[in-house]
Amino acid sequence: MMPAKTALPKAPREAGTPMSPANEALLFARHIEGDLAAREALVRRFMPLARSLARRYDRSSEPFEDLLQVASLGLLKALDRFDPALGHPFASFAVPTILGEMRRHFRDAGWSVHVPRGSQERALKVRDAQERLANAQGRAPTVNELAQYLELSAEEVIDALQAIQAYESLSLDAPRPGATDEATSYGDAMGAEDARYELVELDATVSAVLGRIPAREREILRMRFVEDLTQTEIADRVGISQMQVSRLLRRSLDQLRALTATTS
Amino acid sequence: MGESPNVCLTLSNQPDNVLVVRETLSGMAETVGVDGVDLNDIRTAVTEACNNVVLHAYEGGEGPLHVEVYLSADTVEVVVRDHGTGIMPHIRSDEEEALGIGLSIIQALAPRVEFKDVDGGGTEVRMEFTTPTAHPLASLVRNGFRPPDVAGAELATTTGLAVGPDALARKVLPRVLCVLAARAHFTTDRISDAELVADALVSEAFAPSAGDHLNVSVTVEPRSLAMRVGPLESGSAERVIASSLGDGVGPVIEKLTDDRRVAADGPSEMLELRLFDQR
Repeated sequence: MMPAKTALPKAPREAGTPMSPANEALLFARHIEGDLAAREALVRRFMPLARSLARRYDRSSEPFEDLLQVASLGLLKALDRFDPALGHPFASFAVPTILGEMRRHFRDAGWSVHVPRGSQERALKVRDAQERLANAQGRAPTVNELAQYLELSAEEVIDALQAIQAYESLSLDAPRPGATDEATSYGDAMGAEDARYELVELDATVSAVLGRIPAREREILRMRFVEDLTQTEIADRVGISQMQVSRLLRRSLDQLRALTATTS
Repeated sequence: MGESPNVCLTLSNQPDNVLVVRETLSGMAETVGVDGVDLNDIRTAVTEACNNVVLHAYEGGEGPLHVEVYLSADTVEVVVRDHGTGIMPHIRSDEEEALGIGLSIIQALAPRVEFKDVDGGGTEVRMEFTTPTAHPLASLVRNGFRPPDVAGAELATTTGLAVGPDALARKVLPRVLCVLAARAHFTTDRISDAELVADALVSEAFAPSAGDHLNVSVTVEPRSLAMRVGPLESGSAERVIASSLGDGVGPVIEKLTDDRRVAADGPSEMLELRLFDQR
């Protein structure tokens, strides 16, 4: 077990209007006496710190404005609780207070157990843009192309790709672009294709293991690995998104491996 | 500490590589069930430690960034190390304000933090996070660990990863390949293929790996990913390539990669795979 908090570095003098320590101490003294102008000057002085923390606390999950609002609230709390008589610099007290406020906000917002709504919405946007760009260019887009098109960072696009892989409900239940009612969601589109594939498969020689995964997924495997179609081409034929094809491929290969392992 | 890390990454200190570390941490959290808010804290603190290495460790130059992750029942420990000029003098000089905020963030988010100088030059930041929601992995890695073998000039384009046990590799390797394939300007089609290759490697190459880790180094060039997997038991690399899922699918790695070679590596061998995006 390592010792806690060794080699404590000095607290930062955060970016902002330069101010002598004496002036700062004076402002805190006046703030404690209830001087609202002094409080406002302190808020202005330390807002860059709140902004910096909002920018740095997990960049990819929530709109910056929301994070900044929570960080600002944390700054106000820190100003009200700070006791200059203890002799510590304000920033060393404010950083944990502001971060604590942000953690509490995300716990309350259900982040512990749910995918943040911002991430969900972004994942759906990336899925739709992927389809639109693939149609326009005749090939799947790159991450940079998606990022440019959606004005997101490459990291936000990559997080969205991962979220689509990880969360089943995200793309199966969400309406497809241009869908007018629930019957055109991905899940239903897949179901409708099912019967047709069953017919195609009737004459095919299907190994015992392969026969145990759903027919539509078997067909997608065949298109990718036997016909050598790209995932975008498969998506086109089946009427689902490439990302859905990607997830079905990963899932069915996983299932096949598990089944092969138990059979052999 | 004595025991081997569950994840060991060797990267260049380029800004882009911080994303590889962040995605690795997300894969770790998914494997052991670290909750969303705790993961944010870990990602935020580790990002600050990595950014210190990116911005300050080599005084504007390039050098290695090492990241290790140790998992235990209710803690995650992350070590970020460089072999640069050392960041502590900078902090003490009180002139690097942005850096100072970064270290304050690390201290606010990690219940235990240790900064120390590395023998021969450099700095190590050791952060321990409590993760009450996490469930322990079935087997923790204890032996046969070999750190990623990436050094010198190849560091600029190559990422080294050693990861174990296989449950963790299953979540981490595909994410790392996704980031690197995106950097190689792959289309989303081919990125997904790279992830399928990662899944196949974890399934097929883990058992014949020397020890309890899978070692993979990945070199990124425009529209090309070159992977070196191993060391693997002699004679096993061909089996990994040819491993088939039966009629209707066939050998996944052979079908999804563009080039496959087996190279001798002392008593073991290395599997070398290449993926291109030939759109």
